[in-house]
Amino acid sequence: MKKAKRNMLALLLIALACAGYGFYLYKKKPADVRKEKAEFSIGAAELVAAFNADEAAANKKFVDHVLGVSGKVTGIKTDSSGQATVFLDSGDMLSAVTCSFYKEETPSLAAVKQGQLVTIKGQCTGKLMDVVLNKCSIIQ
Amino acid sequence: MLTLLSVQLAGAQVRYFTKTGNISFQAGTALEDIDGTNKSATSVFDAGTGQIEFALLVKGFEFKSALMQEHFNENYMESDKFPKSVFKGKIMNIEKVNFKKTGEYPITVKGTLDIHGVSKEIETTGTIKVLNDETVTSSASFPVTLEDYKIAIPGLVKDKISKTAKIAVYCSYALLK
Repeated sequence: MKKAKRNMLALLLIALACAGYGFYLYKKKPADVRKEKAEFSIGAAELVAAFNADEAAANKKFVDHVLGVSGKVTGIKTDSSGQATVFLDSGDMLSAVTCSFYKEETPSLAAVKQGQLVTIKGQCTGKLMDVVLNKCSIIQ
Repeated sequence: MLTLLSVQLAGAQVRYFTKTGNISFQAGTALEDIDGTNKSATSVFDAGTGQIEFALLVKGFEFKSALMQEHFNENYMESDKFPKSVFKGKIMNIEKVNFKKTGEYPITVKGTLDIHGVSKEIETTGTIKVLNDETVTSSASFPVTLEDYKIAIPGLVKDKISKTAKIAVYCSYALLK
């Protein structure tokens, strides 16, 4: 009797833990890329060249990963909601690196000028015309 | 020489372009909000012919929940297999838009939307807003039936995910020089 009761209690605890874990997963926010370490440090030119040479291989290597990309700023665009996107020169006229910033990171770009060399951290989503990084912040 | 110049002028294309188009969708029900937003869509259109294109990376949609994003990419959109989504079409009444005059112009767009490796003809209305000589915005919103694009929703979450997704497009273009 006592044993059965103990088993019941154990089962109940396990069920609760599972439900709790499920709820945690369900509510979990996407990772804050700003707190993650860049898995690759790479120049904008080198990154675009890798996608131009073999897009499938570059997708496998870089997409979903956090990259630190260095390059010269060719422009900054801030939309009506205040969210900023920075473009990095790759030396390829047709293809740059588009870095879509966290909205809260816009003030960190106030002092950044066109032509300046910067390093930006973000999560790679692939290549359209440009190689695109999401959830960006400036690291240097 | 003069004729050559005039031919070139007549053939000159006026194009507007953006790399920071905003394309979002809502596919939730009363039980759950499911929204994703992509802020790096590219779009280009020709102010003469009305040809218009949009392209985006499926992995570029951002969600409020990590699990939602994972399911979206792995189960529904299979974004490793189909990394891009593209629309190619035409603004049917482009001649009604006066790019020299500030204002809002209603448009009708027809074309082919490619999602999840499936191409379908769609038609929608939208708006072009001329802000100044060099800046215009486009906006549109239309429903997409998930089944049309072979996006299967498992029975377990059937009540949480809508059978149609509402797509909203907002792009701010600059004159391409």
